[in-house]
This record gives sequence, structure tokens and C-alpha cells, in this order.
Amino acid sequence: MSTRTDTSSSPVVAGSFEGDLKRYLRGLGGLLVFLVVWWVGSMTTQPSYLVPGPLESARAFVDLFTTSTAIIVPVTGSSMALPTGLAHLAQTLFHYVPGLLLGAGCGIGLGLVMGWNQLLDDWIQPLVRVLRPIPPLAWIVFAIVWFGIGHTGAAFIVFVGAFWINFYGAYGGVEGVSGELTDAASTLGVDRDLSMLKLVALPSAAPQVLTGFRTSIGRCWMIVVGAELFGAPGVGYEIINASNNLAMATSVAYMFLISLAFLCMDVGFRLLERRVLAWR
Amino acid sequence: MALSSDSSTGRNSREKITIQNVSRSYESIRALADVSFSVSEGEFCCVVGPSGCGKTTLLRAIAGLDDPDGGSILVGGDPVTGPGLDRGMVFQEYALFPWRTVRGNIRFGLDRPACDCPDCEGRVRELIDLVGLDGFEDAYPKELSGGMKQRVGIARALAPDPEILLMDEPFGSVDARTRDRLHAELLDIWTQTGQTVVFVTHDIDEAVTLADRVVVMDADPGTVQSTFSIDLERPRERTSRDFVNHVARIRDALGSPIDASH
Repeated sequence: MSTRTDTSSSPVVAGSFEGDLKRYLRGLGGLLVFLVVWWVGSMTTQPSYLVPGPLESARAFVDLFTTSTAIIVPVTGSSMALPTGLAHLAQTLFHYVPGLLLGAGCGIGLGLVMGWNQLLDDWIQPLVRVLRPIPPLAWIVFAIVWFGIGHTGAAFIVFVGAFWINFYGAYGGVEGVSGELTDAASTLGVDRDLSMLKLVALPSAAPQVLTGFRTSIGRCWMIVVGAELFGAPGVGYEIINASNNLAMATSVAYMFLISLAFLCMDVGFRLLERRVLAWR
Repeated sequence: MALSSDSSTGRNSREKITIQNVSRSYESIRALADVSFSVSEGEFCCVVGPSGCGKTTLLRAIAGLDDPDGGSILVGGDPVTGPGLDRGMVFQEYALFPWRTVRGNIRFGLDRPACDCPDCEGRVRELIDLVGLDGFEDAYPKELSGGMKQRVGIARALAPDPEILLMDEPFGSVDARTRDRLHAELLDIWTQTGQTVVFVTHDIDEAVTLADRVVVMDADPGTVQSTFSIDLERPRERTSRDFVNHVARIRDALGSPIDASH
């Protein structure tokens, strides 16, 4: 049979190779302009610590990897020596990763169940409305009195931040499941609520769930730095610590390190997302 | 039953679907008002009528997706209480699972615990072959044209080997040439499987092309207006005198040209 195939779905890459090159060059130009403005600004500002220059900051960044620092690994309690920048990044990750994963897990779980079950939604919706607007950092006082200033307290703050973003991703995703798909599944033998959630609601909500998670990766970096400004160890704390010694270039180096860490995670997750959502 | 000794799959006049005084209202709209008719085993029955005559509601009620306010629907003598694998449904907008490939969509009904097939992969291959989708097993729905999507929809509904196939304007969104080809394919499949088919459409030509019997419905309130037997040889020639006469009779029964926009 001569089956007609209008498979016009292959992604159209924006522009040709030449177009891409032009866009890269423009982007590079923008960065150069920024560096020049930064450099001129640093040269013309007194006292010099107000705006550390690009070269000075780059040198401070390199220093992060040429010196080494020993940190305590939580849980095991053992000591570990790493290049200074990586050591403080590891400290941040010790509370960032558990907070993010646990918060995302709980948020997605509650979002799915609440989006799916009307009764539960009726019960919890008003509570969610009240708790949701509280900025995660406002919980810092409880983090401190409950867990103290350390990895656990900071993880708790990150947890709160990750929780709500992922909750809304999953909740919205499940609410948007098409009735036609659940009808189709019903006629194909899906007769239990839990099977419907697993076989139809969850895969159908996957794009929103993953978008929620990706958003929370970025948001939690903002939150984690905030939590560390109160004293938990990590890159955020080092930004403050360096500025207390007027080593502003080191602060800039840590800021750049955070940017790099976030960029790596975001790109990594985007690649994963593209694989998982190949059907879209 | 003690009386019935025949287990052949041949066409006979045993009632497969019995619709008795079914009513259904949505707020102030009487979608179905006292609708009664029956469909014989192995029969190809088309339901035509204007938008809002409740034909889709009726089909959904047979599928067990909609609960009528009054009356009863019997399938094989048993009242319908919910959806079941004995009734396969094909949807107007395909309703394919976009995250599953062609193979995964067709496989869906076979993977339910209620269904045990000795060779599911073989069954899926057979169905892909039946609807002519060889080479597209691993394509996602977004990569398929409308006609191909509906082929998947049909194969998916056929997979658990239902006794009844319910089709809700399945070819309403495909172009005319593809529709003609799908008609021929559907009739082939129906001849091979001997299923009872209830096919909802607003297109009289389509109904006369396919059906053994056409049930004409009126809108507001939704009622059965009349039924027509189409005793023409298949494949049917749309330009033939008999075909045109059947279409004209049904069009007269409907009173006015059907609004084809829905």
C-alpha cells in the first residue's frame, strides 16, 4: 500500500551554518563589550575593591583550583582535601542535592495525588494556598532552631523551595490530562485509579513535571546561596567570607563558579529531558 | 443458552446490542430521549444525524463511558455497567497516547491484566500488517498523518479482540481520498473479523457506503427517527442508481441538509 507520509515533524534547525556562525559572533561580541565595560569600570572606580577587574577576578578564579582545602564529609564525618573551589562547591552540593531531590520527590508526589484525587484536592487546596506564598528563605528561622546552621538546615530550605515548584508542575500536568485519553484507556481495560495514574496521567504530565524540575534546579541555586549567607558552609558562604576580607575578586570568582555549576546541571538536564520526551 | 447450538461466526439475526428507552440530559439539553433500537451480531450499523442529536452520547453509553439517566443498554444480554474489553472504541480525534509508539499504542490493551494472549508481539505485528503500517512500528503519533493515526486507533481498538467495535466519526478529520481508502480497508477488516460495528457519522454517503443498516436520529430531543436497510453488494459504487436513491431517501428523512461542520 502506498501509505502517504506527511512526516513534516523533523525539527527545523534555525538558520544555516552561516546563520549560526553569525549568531555566535554576535554573542561573542556582546561578551567582549561587557568585558570592556567591566574593565573600564574597574579602572575608573576608587577604592579598587568596589569593582574588581576582569583580570583580577580571573586570577582569583584560577586560585580556587591551585590551592586546596580540607572539608568534612557529612554522614561519614571523614575529612577530604580538594582544590578550594571544588571543596566549597562540594559543601554546597552536600545540602543542595538532598534538598532538591527530596523536595522534588515529595512535591511531585503530592502534586500528582492532589491533581488526580478530587477529595484530597478539596481537603488540601486551602492549606496549599496559605503555605505556598511563603518565600522559602522565610523558613530559615525554623531551619536554624530545628536543625542548626549546617547542612541539614540548608537542605531544609532547599527542600521547601524545590517542593513548591515541583508540586505545581505535577499538579498542573495531571489536571491537564485529556479526558479523551483516559476514556481510551478505560475502553482498553484500565479499570483502577492507580493504573490510570501510572499509565496515562503520569506519562501525559511528564513534560510539565520535567519543566518543573528544571525550573527548580535554578531556583534552588538562588535559595541555597541565600541559606549559606546565614552560615551554612559552601560557595554562598565563601562569597560573604571573601567580601568580609575585602577580597572582592574572590567573591566574583565564586559567583562565576555558581554560574558554571548551574549551567552544567541545566544543560545536562535539558539533554536528559530531550531524550525522555522524544515523543513530543 | 440451551436453545442455541450454533457457535459459528456467520451473520445471523441474534441481538448483540439492545438499547431500550435510553434517555440522557445535560442540564437543559435532552441529548437522548427514549431511544430504542438493536444491533444484530455481526451487523455493520451506522448512526447518522445532525450535530447535537446525541449520537456520540449514545455511542459513549454503549462503551460504558457515559451513564444514561434512564433506560438500559444490553450487550450480549448483559446490562452495560462500565467500559470493557468486549467493546473497542475508535475516537474522532484518534486519542492515541502520544508518548507511545505505534507498537506501544496497539499493545496497550494487550498489556492489561484482563487480557492474556500467548504471543502479544505476534499479535501486534499481525495488527500492524492488517492496517498497513509496516515500517512505522517505532514512529510516534506526531510523526503520522491523520489517516495513519486513525489506522493505529483502529488497530489499538482491535487488539484485545473485542466483539463490538464502536466508532465515533473516525474519518471526520481525514481528507476525502484517504477516507475512501480507509472505508475499503475497514470493510476488509470487518469481513475478516466478523465484529459487530456501530459507526457514528454525519456523512450520509459514508453511512450508505459502509452500513448494513442506517439509523437516522433527530436532534433536540435526540430520538431515533427512522432506520434504513442498505441491501447493496459491496464494494458499493457511489454513482450507481441504487446508491444515489438510498442517499436521497435518508436525506429526505433528515428533512434538511445536515450541517456538516460538526
